[in-house]
Amino acid sequence: MHAVDGVTLEVEKGSIQGLIGPNGAGKTTLVNVITGYVPFQAGKAWLEDDQLTGLPAHRIAGLGVARTFQNIRLFKDLSAVENVIVGMHSRRRDDTLAQLGTLPFFRRDQRARFNEAHRLMETAGLDPGEVGKRAAGTLPYGDQRRLEIARALALQPRLLILDEPAAGMNPSEKQGIRELIERLNKDGLTILLIDHDMQLVMGVCDRVAVLNFGRKIADGTPEQVSTNAAVIKAYLGTGSERQASSAPGATGVEAVAAEEAQAKAGSKPAAEPANSILDVHELSVSYGSVNAVRAASLRVAAGEVVALIGANGAGKTTILSALSGLIRPASGTAVFDGLDLTTAKASAIVRHGLVHVPEGREILGRQTVLENLELATWARRDRAAAATQIAAVMRRFPILGERRRMRAGTLSGGEAQMLAIARGLLGKPRLLLLDEPSLGLAPQMVDEVFAAIKEIHDDGTTILLVEQNALRALAIADRAYVLETGRILLTGSGDDLLHNPAVRRAYLGG
Amino acid sequence: MDFFIQLFSDPVAFWQSHTLLVSQIGINSILASSMFVVLYSGQLSLAAPGFMAIGAYTSVLMDLNLHTPLAVDFAAGTALAGVVGALVGLPVLRLRGVFLAIATIGFIEALSLGVILNLPITGEGLGLRNIDADPVGGVYIVLISLAVAVFLLWRLTKGRLGYAWTAIRQDELAARSQGIDVARYKLIAFVISALLAGYAGAAESHLYFILDPNEYGVPRTVQVLTFAVLGGSGNVLGPVVGALFLTTFPFVFKQAGDYIGVVSGAVLIAIIIFRPQGIVGRGGFAVVRPRWWPHPQLRAPSTG
Repeated sequence: MHAVDGVTLEVEKGSIQGLIGPNGAGKTTLVNVITGYVPFQAGKAWLEDDQLTGLPAHRIAGLGVARTFQNIRLFKDLSAVENVIVGMHSRRRDDTLAQLGTLPFFRRDQRARFNEAHRLMETAGLDPGEVGKRAAGTLPYGDQRRLEIARALALQPRLLILDEPAAGMNPSEKQGIRELIERLNKDGLTILLIDHDMQLVMGVCDRVAVLNFGRKIADGTPEQVSTNAAVIKAYLGTGSERQASSAPGATGVEAVAAEEAQAKAGSKPAAEPANSILDVHELSVSYGSVNAVRAASLRVAAGEVVALIGANGAGKTTILSALSGLIRPASGTAVFDGLDLTTAKASAIVRHGLVHVPEGREILGRQTVLENLELATWARRDRAAAATQIAAVMRRFPILGERRRMRAGTLSGGEAQMLAIARGLLGKPRLLLLDEPSLGLAPQMVDEVFAAIKEIHDDGTTILLVEQNALRALAIADRAYVLETGRILLTGSGDDLLHNPAVRRAYLGG
Repeated sequence: MDFFIQLFSDPVAFWQSHTLLVSQIGINSILASSMFVVLYSGQLSLAAPGFMAIGAYTSVLMDLNLHTPLAVDFAAGTALAGVVGALVGLPVLRLRGVFLAIATIGFIEALSLGVILNLPITGEGLGLRNIDADPVGGVYIVLISLAVAVFLLWRLTKGRLGYAWTAIRQDELAARSQGIDVARYKLIAFVISALLAGYAGAAESHLYFILDPNEYGVPRTVQVLTFAVLGGSGNVLGPVVGALFLTTFPFVFKQAGDYIGVVSGAVLIAIIIFRPQGIVGRGGFAVVRPRWWPHPQLRAPSTG
């Protein structure tokens, strides 16, 4: 596996460089390599004249490469000010002996550090008087993001790497982060910005590089990148050629193909069904102070394939987790065939016939393929029936039959996905929730996985499908919902949405 | 109750009859502080009794064979513990969590089987007779050293070193991105911890006429860990309070008789559930209500 493969990236001094790419493209891995968390296998990196290759993370930080983390890594029990003071570590004189006698000049230094920390917090848009003494872990989410930036600034960096600074923020908070980034850059700071929010990246960056499957597929100004066909394909997914070329924004739209698709769209029901097996009304889910899903309503009728699409962080996985009882919604209702999903236990939901195949497969790598499947039937009393069912899913996925004695961890991504789906089928689902089945798969494997999904549907299983690969999902879905920052933006038949410019906007922010 | 009545009604008599207890509290507090340093830097090291044994045997052997002054004995014991700490720390500090804990237990066992129980000079497991011990006068040495140790640790936790330790404890990955050399600061903590344990061992050996090799095994390490965690490992005073609390416990609850172990176990469980941060810690005297504890009021009616 090459998570990052032969990428060349130059960040011009004093500029804002963007780095984007679909989920699993290798963006964070690239940052981890640059900052010394993951060793270089090949290639080199320099910061001006200093070579970064092979240095441990703390030395790289000492040279002036500061970073923030995708999933906020503050020192939660330290106060906000103390977090910023920790950031000053590498340029702070060692005062250990001075403290032992509590010499007066240490106190003066300490006061100077507090003042500087306050200044940095103000720069990052925090009110030190209000939040300075509070434990970092208790701050509101947006303030934690800002505090992480303030801590990174305390290093007096030559290069600031921001890993998804706007993830999980609402539009006004995002605007605030955007202004902050622009202000820092105006003060002369060089910034490498990684984010999924295209509006932010395209808006502030001087140049943008695009990664896909660990390779750089485009590099240029925001305008060049957002109209680049390869980029659009990477983001909206690899459908068949016809769909890719007729998708909004793709170069060379073929009128005939579009017309054909329009005609096909008319034949599918676009309206929400009256009789639904799953009925979700005004569902809201929050993680602490982050509202991941805001009043989302959706319905699925028996026998349908419904797709839930949207950019990373839109709340797709959260909705599925709320439906399968893994997390509890803050408000709203969700009913599956008479069972209240907001209060039922996860185990009861599975027994009722709603099975969730999670993102990232979650198979047991050290067990064999057969053991993985047997575990799924472990709670059954009718052993004989379970055995015939396992035989049946192995006929459906012949590759699993061939590999039954192999450890699941040695399977390829596509095979592992087949195993995860097969395991889900053993729960005898009437409604199957599939979360990102194409995640990180090569195009041929995506084809096979989607063919399998279609077969399962043809056998009468209702499917709710979450996908980043929008074109593929829309191509097999009867209907789809488009999510943007936790809200349902649009709904309609798969083909209608395929040609809706708003879909492209939800993904590319253009 | 007699314990407290005597403490308040007749402090002089209390002091005379409980001098050794006070000394033991002081020793245990220094040991707990040694555990505090490693916990504060995010390491679960259980090596304290090993360093303690090094401090104790070195100082007693110096006294018996070389007749050096007490201060020299203590200094030699402490220093040797620190040197061994650095040597052991270099390889084992690459380990984390339970793996570090097991490696440090391995160190205690190796030291105990290889040196303390095996060599003629250490009495081959019979222990040593320390004729120069001073069970009564030693209390002043112990209490003064405890005060100095706690003061120094308090200062250390307030400066660059302390911030680095806290950062490592809370998030090692993020600490590295702040330019903190994690391996180096962990080793510093480990060596300071070894020095404190070595000193506590030397001081303790000065209180008893017999140096008992069975004192320096795994049960002792569990006891010391309990002092630190129960008292609160986020504050320099926590381990001292923990040592004070647990060392006096059997004296306070004399009526429990043979059931003292049951009572102290129950109290330990209760404290860990309701004060997971320890007796001294964040949140003043507030207690935590566990999730499974019944809610006092009914759920508010839904507004939707």
